[in-house]
Order: sequence, then structure tokens, then C-alpha cells
Amino acid sequence: MAYKDEIRAFIVENFLMGEDSTSLKGDTSFLEEGIIDSTGVLELVGFLEETYDIRVEDEELVPENLDSIDNIARYLEQKKG
Amino acid sequence: MTLLDLIRKAALRFPSRVALKDSSGELTYSQLIGLSDDVARGLLMRGISMGDRVGLLFENSTHYVVAYLGILGAGCVALPLNTDNTRKNLSYVLNQCGAKALIGRHRFIKKYDLWGLAEAEGLLIVSAGTGADCPAHDGRIITWDDLLGGPVKDLPTSSGNDLACILYTSGTTGRPKGVMLSHENLRANAESIISYLGLGDLDSILAVLPFFYSYGSSILHTHLAVGGTIHIENNFVYPNKALERMAREEVTGFAGVPSTFAMLLHRSNFKAMKWPHLRYVTQAGGPMPPAVARELKEALPDTDIFIMYGQTEATARLSYLPPELILKKAGSIGKAIPGVELRCVDRAGRPVMPGETGEICARGPNVMKGYWDMPEETEKVLRNGWLYTGDLATVDEDGFFYIVSRKSEMIKSGAHRISPKEIEEVISELPEIHEVAVIGMPDDILGESICAFVVPRGEGFDERKVLRYCRRNLASFKVPHRIIAVAGLPRTMSGKVKKFLLKEKNFTQPWTHKGP
Repeated sequence: MAYKDEIRAFIVENFLMGEDSTSLKGDTSFLEEGIIDSTGVLELVGFLEETYDIRVEDEELVPENLDSIDNIARYLEQKKG
Repeated sequence: MTLLDLIRKAALRFPSRVALKDSSGELTYSQLIGLSDDVARGLLMRGISMGDRVGLLFENSTHYVVAYLGILGAGCVALPLNTDNTRKNLSYVLNQCGAKALIGRHRFIKKYDLWGLAEAEGLLIVSAGTGADCPAHDGRIITWDDLLGGPVKDLPTSSGNDLACILYTSGTTGRPKGVMLSHENLRANAESIISYLGLGDLDSILAVLPFFYSYGSSILHTHLAVGGTIHIENNFVYPNKALERMAREEVTGFAGVPSTFAMLLHRSNFKAMKWPHLRYVTQAGGPMPPAVARELKEALPDTDIFIMYGQTEATARLSYLPPELILKKAGSIGKAIPGVELRCVDRAGRPVMPGETGEICARGPNVMKGYWDMPEETEKVLRNGWLYTGDLATVDEDGFFYIVSRKSEMIKSGAHRISPKEIEEVISELPEIHEVAVIGMPDDILGESICAFVVPRGEGFDERKVLRYCRRNLASFKVPHRIIAVAGLPRTMSGKVKKFLLKEKNFTQPWTHKGP
């Protein structure tokens, strides 16, 4: 749950400019909702690498790992295992 | 012979070949022509006439292409619109050229709340997608399926000189300008590109660039004209997904802007994969650093890499560097494409000597007819039969062109050309901002990122408030990547902001304190 809260806070702060949106749910697709574009994905990766001390490999750059709060949390759990 | 005639000919030769493939399915050439003729008849049946402007608001999709060819087939003028937009800008563009109809994806029409234009401007709105909540309005708002119905009606014939489309580009003044392209412009540029790329009916491409820009549009034109296959891929945010598809479909071509290749080379599995089917790669839309070109060549030793240059005012393409010279003439944009003349001239309009800097001018059948209803703007760039590109270059002893800089301040970020003026105008609306200057800063991935220098008025400056305001009032690709608060902007004696100083790395040091 901690992952989800932290990721949510990062998304709200950096991509929604602090405007907390109730429509941002755990399974909301960042791409479909236009929350994140290609540079946004790279920013997100930078945040994950720095905050959780992991390396996001090129082959892990897929929507299944990064396109929603739930997906990122699941990915982090596997990664930190 | 128009571009549409070329596509019809390809459809007669290869009726069952797949022309387009997107996430929703595929269309063969005979299906594509059949459906686009249905769109053409539907428009004419509803009172839209030859020469009328018809807006097109779709992401890259089979719908986009069917509607686009349908508009051309009805003798109307296609008006491709950026889907990442604002209501204000879309209304301005549709109004500026007096559009009579808008065909678009339901979610975009809804997002920008354009339904009201049916009543206010008498626009025919055709909504594709889930149409359950289209407001009814005396037959002026209809669904895609409604449009395709109706009895057979003969389609008109367009001549080469007739307008085919208007592509709006960001103007340096902040107001978008409508580049008028004729059927002859489209055909001539497509045939020239086809000849130097050696495109044939067995070619296929993964299209990741938007069709509403000239580069993406030229990919569409050229591949349909030869009977090739276009694989539409809108998910390049995650390049590995796109690459998997590219390998699976065994595409023979790929086209990108510098940021596309930066992503491929540095944030994807591209280099680790094998590309035996990839015959050619093209790059335009901004300078590719020679080091990136070398890296790309190393990754694709058996693929032809074409570095190209052009602008919307020339339909798309003006020059290309033959692939065998990519290392020998590193940094060059090559020479004129077939059928086009290019030269570099001084302020008096005289060709410059090798090594001297001048403005690139172009002449050929691909040069636009002008900007829609902007004669003064047109006169600035179309003079004595030449298109003045605004790009400064040198030419070497062998006649190869090298871009030095751009005369205009336009920012090239990703696949977009962005007017700093528009962003400055939006930020200036905030009462807490005293003044602002927006520039493009070098960026490894985007080519240029958008940087706004602001001088706050009084205390309590909040960078996030500026960003929030930008997000509400600008298309998302125009929102600055950085906001830097400074105490003042460097100006010339006449009061003009010295933007070249802002671009210097150490400029921010004396100014970074937040104030005044």
C-alpha cells in the first residue's frame, strides 16, 4: 500500500501539478488519460530508480509495468521481491 | 493525375492487399477506396461542396485515412487537426478558414466541447466512435455510420491546381498559419520521395509520426501511392512494444524525428534486436547530431539511413542525404530532392559562395500556394517564385547543404514545432508574472525542451501555479518542462529580449534568486 501512496503522490505532484484528482484511480491508464507522455515516462522511471534504488531495464519499459499506479506497485513488489 | 488517382491506381492493381493496419483491424486497398468514396458521397449528399474546408480530428487510425481520402474524393479541402490541442485553438482554426464540416473521433469532439459549433457556425459534425451522447441538432450532428449511408452520387474530379489540404503550423506571431497545399503539391512531393527512397508495393512501414503533420502525412501519401502497407502504431511512449510489432510484421521501413531515434537508441531494446527486413530508415524534423547518426548506422549496418530536411510550406520534403554519404558528409542535410531546386542566398537574394552562410530558398512543384487568408505573411516567404525557408545554412564545394541555425525562434520539441510567443502570451495572463521569455533548451531525447524564464511580481511565486495554468490553457506538448524564476530579462537597447543569452548555460547563475 505504501508504494501506491508514494507513486500517487509523485504523479499528482509532477503531472497533475498538485491538483489531486479523484478520477486518478489505481487502474487509471496514464496514457489513455493523457497524464503522461514519452518524456513523462522517463521522469517516472528516474523517480522509481532513485526512490527505490532499482534499475529499470530497457525491456521492462512496458505499459504492464508502468502505465498505472497498480501496475507500478506490482512491478515494484516483484522487483524488490 | 492527382495523389488520389495514384492511390486509386494502386487499389486497382492490389485490391486485396492490406493498405492499413491499426489496433482495431485492417483495411485492404479495395475496402479503403470503397469506404472513402462512401465518405465523399456522404459529404456531398449533406450539402458540402467542392472546395469546402473539412476538419479532421482523429489520432492516426484507419478512420483518419478513410475520412482524409473521402474529403479529397469529394473535391473538398482536408484540414488535419492536432488532437493534442485546446478548444480555443481548434475554434480559431476552423473559423479562420471557414470550415463547413468536421469529422472526428467522438472523444476529441467531446473533450474540446466542439458540439456548439454546429449551431454557432453551422458546421456539419460527424462523430466517430461511441456516439450515444452526441447532442441532436437538426441533422448537423451525425455519426460516422450516418455519414456513410445514402444513394450513389458521382464524385467530382479535382485538378492539380485545386486545393487539397491546409496544414496549420505554429506562427512566430503565435497565430497558426494555414499552409495551402494543392493536389499537384501532394502528388509532386510524393513522387519525388518515392523515387529517391526507391519505394515499391512490397514496402511496409511502422508509422509512429502523426498524420496531421507534414512528415507523417508524406509517409501516408507515399506508401499508399505505391500500394505498400502502413502499420499504424500510436504507442511509441513504450518503444519496446512498437519494436516487437515492427519485428513481427517484418516492416521494410521506419521514419522518425530526432527524439524517436534518441528513444530507440537509449531507452529500448532496439540495438539488441536484429532487423533483417528493414530496408530503409528516414529522419527529418530537426538536426540529428552526427554522433547519433553514427550510432544509428552501427546499429543498422545493412539498412539505408536517409537524413532529410523540409518544411510544411514545401508539402514536406526539400532535401535528402544519400545513405552512402551519411558518414562522409556527416551533419549535412544533403541536396535537393528530384524536381526541386535549392539554393542559399544572402540578404540581397544572391547565391552565397561555398562556406558562406545564407538563407535556404526552394523552388519546385511542392511549394505551397500560400497561407490561407494571410497575404502579408505569404509575401514574406514566397518571393520571386522562391520559398524563403527562414533556415540558415552553408553549402560545401560539392553542393551539400549544412543547416547553421534557424532565423525564427520556433522550438522543435519531439515531432512538434512550437511558437514561444503562444506560451509567453498564456503565462503573461497570470497577474503574479511581470514578464516572461520562452526558449528551447538542448535536450538529449526531445531535441529541445521548453524552458520559461519568468520574472515574478512581488513575493510568493509558485512555479506549480504557472504549470497548472499552462496545462489548462495550452496543448500538453506546449507546457514548459522548466520554469526558471529570474530577477530580470536581458534586453537590447530597443527592449527586445536577448534570447541567445538565456540559452547560455551559465546565464541563470546571477539570476536564480527568486524575487524581486
